[in-house]
Amino acid sequence: MILIPAIDLKEGQCVRLRQGRMDESTVFSDDPVAMAGKWVAQGCQRLHLVDLDGAFEGMPVNADVIEEICAAFPDLPIQIGGGIRTIDTVEAYLAAGVRYVIIGTQAVKNPEFVTQLCSEFPGNVIIGIDAKDGMVAVQGWAEDSDHTAMDLALRFEDQGVAAIVYTDIGRDGMMEGVNIEATCQLAEAIGVPVIASGGVTDMEDIKRLNAVKHSGIEGVIIGRALYERTISLEQAQAYIDQN
Amino acid sequence: MHTTAVVDYGMGNLRSVVNALQKVAAKRHNIILTSDPRQLKQADRVVFPGQGAAGDCMRAIDEYGLREAIIDASRNRPFLGICMGMQVLFAHSEENQGTDCLGVFNGRVRYFGDSHKDQSGVKLKVPHMGWNGVRQKQQHPLWHSIEDNSRFYFVHSYYVEVEDVSLVAGTSDYGFSFTSVIASENVFALQCHPEKSANAGLQLLRNFLNWEGQA
Repeated sequence: MILIPAIDLKEGQCVRLRQGRMDESTVFSDDPVAMAGKWVAQGCQRLHLVDLDGAFEGMPVNADVIEEICAAFPDLPIQIGGGIRTIDTVEAYLAAGVRYVIIGTQAVKNPEFVTQLCSEFPGNVIIGIDAKDGMVAVQGWAEDSDHTAMDLALRFEDQGVAAIVYTDIGRDGMMEGVNIEATCQLAEAIGVPVIASGGVTDMEDIKRLNAVKHSGIEGVIIGRALYERTISLEQAQAYIDQN
Repeated sequence: MHTTAVVDYGMGNLRSVVNALQKVAAKRHNIILTSDPRQLKQADRVVFPGQGAAGDCMRAIDEYGLREAIIDASRNRPFLGICMGMQVLFAHSEENQGTDCLGVFNGRVRYFGDSHKDQSGVKLKVPHMGWNGVRQKQQHPLWHSIEDNSRFYFVHSYYVEVEDVSLVAGTSDYGFSFTSVIASENVFALQCHPEKSANAGLQLLRNFLNWEGQA
């Protein structure tokens, strides 16, 4: 299991939201490239980027910054989500050096898009499932859908997606602990790896996730806990590697 | 009914393996999770997963009194080893300062090393974790409908070094080419996780449930 630091981008700055609300953002840095460098220096094995403006606009807004980060760290696997709705966007990101594109809203609204991406870019597509009380939320979490997270994940498991990022949006940015039960249940049920996200707060969360990693949890995205220093990237990864 | 027993020797969560098998099982297939050697002996097929360290696995196998039943199954019935369940079929593992294993096959299990590098000298992270291609090295019923070089999901720090190269059914690259799949008569075993390998993995499990144990 690897720790995946998150850099959420809003108007070119590195921010954290609470429960996905754009009006509740905290700016942690105005230099996302330097922020990426900080995580790389601490042994980061993969980086999670979110184009928050893009998620709301439905098209890339912070692509310039994302390309800068890719260019600065060419060996670092990077996954990017937010506003990816067309093949052209995916092509541009992959050409810029992004390893994985995360498809969220479009996976719900236009599943054929995922099928097409998986056949054109096998191994580069991750599905992002954002759930609240087990139901999928879309459009930058501003809308709910009538799909359960489990049904959506099962729908994509045999399409060739590289992983599923499962985010509990009731917990994201709230520092209230990760939803271990729901994450583990999903990992046990589907035939692709799961990346846990949302609510990771302290080493207790890391330890609890690590204890169930064999259910198929390949990584965990950490945001606010790194920025507020309740988790040390190096120490937490060392713990995982030794246990 | 055809019963497929998934061996549970207390080394962690096996729901993923059971769920994946149930997903591809036909009505005539009954999938059970068991720690009981008698149930293993009665099963038509045996799936032998494993996770954690070799030393812990071998200790657990003996604590559960499963050694003889596992070896027996590996000689007589369609038998699928997964990850650590492949490694401990061999005679010896380097893990935990050296661990004697089940010895169904000659060969040993080696560590990738702390300074594992690719051919251009770039350091490779150990464990080897993620999707990687598997080159099919022999024709086998378990490769049915799975394209050569299909990608499977791996998480491991140790790899198998066989003595008898005719065992090799698949290889993968991580710094060098290593044996990622073996096959011998009624045994098929993989270093990767078919239960986490999307369509290729599900197809392999489906093939296993339809396999009568002949290469």
